[in-house]
Amino acid sequence: MATPQRVRPAARRAPSRPALAVALRALSIAAVAASLLSGIAGGLLRVGVVLPSTDDAPWLAQAGMQHAALMICGFLGTVIGIERAVAVKRRLAFAAPLASALGGVCLLLGRVGPGARLMLLAALVFVAVNGVVVARQRAAHTWLLLVAALAWLCGCALFALQGGQGDAVAAALPWWFAFLVITIAAERLEMTRLMRRGPAMQALLGGVLLLMLAGAAWSTWLSAWSPAVGGLLFGASLSLLAAWLAVFDIARRTVFARGLSRYMAVCLLGGYTWLAVAGAAWAGSAYGLPLRDAALHALGLGFIVSMMMGHAPVILPAVARVKLQFGALFYLPLLILHGSLALRLGAGLADVAMRAVGAVGNAAAIAAFVLTVIGAAFVWQFHHGASRAAEVIR
Amino acid sequence: MSGVARAPSVDAAPAPFPYDGPAALRQPIIDALEQVVDPEVALNIVDVGLVYGVSVDATRLHVRLTMTSAACPVVDVIIDDVERELDRVLPAGLRIEVELVWEPAWTAERMSEGAKRFMGW
Repeated sequence: MATPQRVRPAARRAPSRPALAVALRALSIAAVAASLLSGIAGGLLRVGVVLPSTDDAPWLAQAGMQHAALMICGFLGTVIGIERAVAVKRRLAFAAPLASALGGVCLLLGRVGPGARLMLLAALVFVAVNGVVVARQRAAHTWLLLVAALAWLCGCALFALQGGQGDAVAAALPWWFAFLVITIAAERLEMTRLMRRGPAMQALLGGVLLLMLAGAAWSTWLSAWSPAVGGLLFGASLSLLAAWLAVFDIARRTVFARGLSRYMAVCLLGGYTWLAVAGAAWAGSAYGLPLRDAALHALGLGFIVSMMMGHAPVILPAVARVKLQFGALFYLPLLILHGSLALRLGAGLADVAMRAVGAVGNAAAIAAFVLTVIGAAFVWQFHHGASRAAEVIR
Repeated sequence: MSGVARAPSVDAAPAPFPYDGPAALRQPIIDALEQVVDPEVALNIVDVGLVYGVSVDATRLHVRLTMTSAACPVVDVIIDDVERELDRVLPAGLRIEVELVWEPAWTAERMSEGAKRFMGW
């Protein structure tokens, strides 16, 4: 008698992929890659490093000017938009990452106005998507995700109002960073549900994040009155958040686990250290110290990219359906990132050449991470493809 | 069919979640579900208390599963892992159904004693 076929839900759930969806997916991936690569090239240009064979590329000057918009909106905004769209499982939610990805391409092509408006559209849709999340689960962390989305919207509105030109990026920056930092804070708050929490913990976080929004608001609307206060509030909130995370985050526990869990915790704890540094540098920069590069990159690279490196091995399988084989090699890009950042913010503070060397190291860390991820995907295929073949033969 | 008789579980230790099905499958199912780990928290889904219940009858196994967050993008990965691990231990012919539920909402009280110890309770 023939063995009955097992009907597995996965087989029934397997989505049919119409050609349009496949095309949009490929387009989004290409656009995200364009934002990331050009954003990095633009960042290097800002410290005086021109990558070989790009010196007369017309997009490079744009990439240099729009470095922050490309990295935060074109790259991270798109990635976070995809992540959230996957979580809410609504097709329309993918309009946000699609718009921000295309917005990045527009910026590169010098179409700054349309690019800025696409970013604004992306943020608007993203706010709606987070509204859906809140409607589904009314919890402190989902409300915070919505607040983070609103901060992105505010930053994109300021950026678009100034047509993406002049001081548009500087005006948008505190809001854009607030978007990323509050998103991360919300996700870490959710994780603290596994720990025993006192009532003060949530209130403390709320206070710190209010301070951050107050700092951003002051920088935007009250800087004519007293220019340093906004930066001081914003910087203080970053350092206080680092302290909150150091005390309450589960990374303090999971760093004693093994394998991927420990690696993720190391990425987080390293990131919290840079967050504290970023806060001090942000406040110092507001008072005229030459710490702006340090503030922006301790935050953007030390905290946010380190966090991203930690989460890619669990998020990529979820959003891109690519499985990764975790291995100790993942620590190498992390080491390069933190080492080169220490160089950039240490020796690079006084020496422009060292700052450039550090920045090249930062870019190398991201490149090494991408290669590690690609390698890990192949290794997983090799192991599991082989074991599946063995099952079939058996 | 493999001819597993349906009987209430009568083993000594209670299952970490409501279980309704053949006693012979009870431990293999628990073991399989304990293989599914959320790397973010370094704990498996049974210890975190995400498994609300398992029922098995002659034709199907039904798992009720929750997540700690509605904004969690790794839902599908965890469900895939649950299906894969169960697939290894279940007799062929049994349909695997994983149902994602949000009611009642997950609370930390659902965590196992070991998990609470790990998180410093």
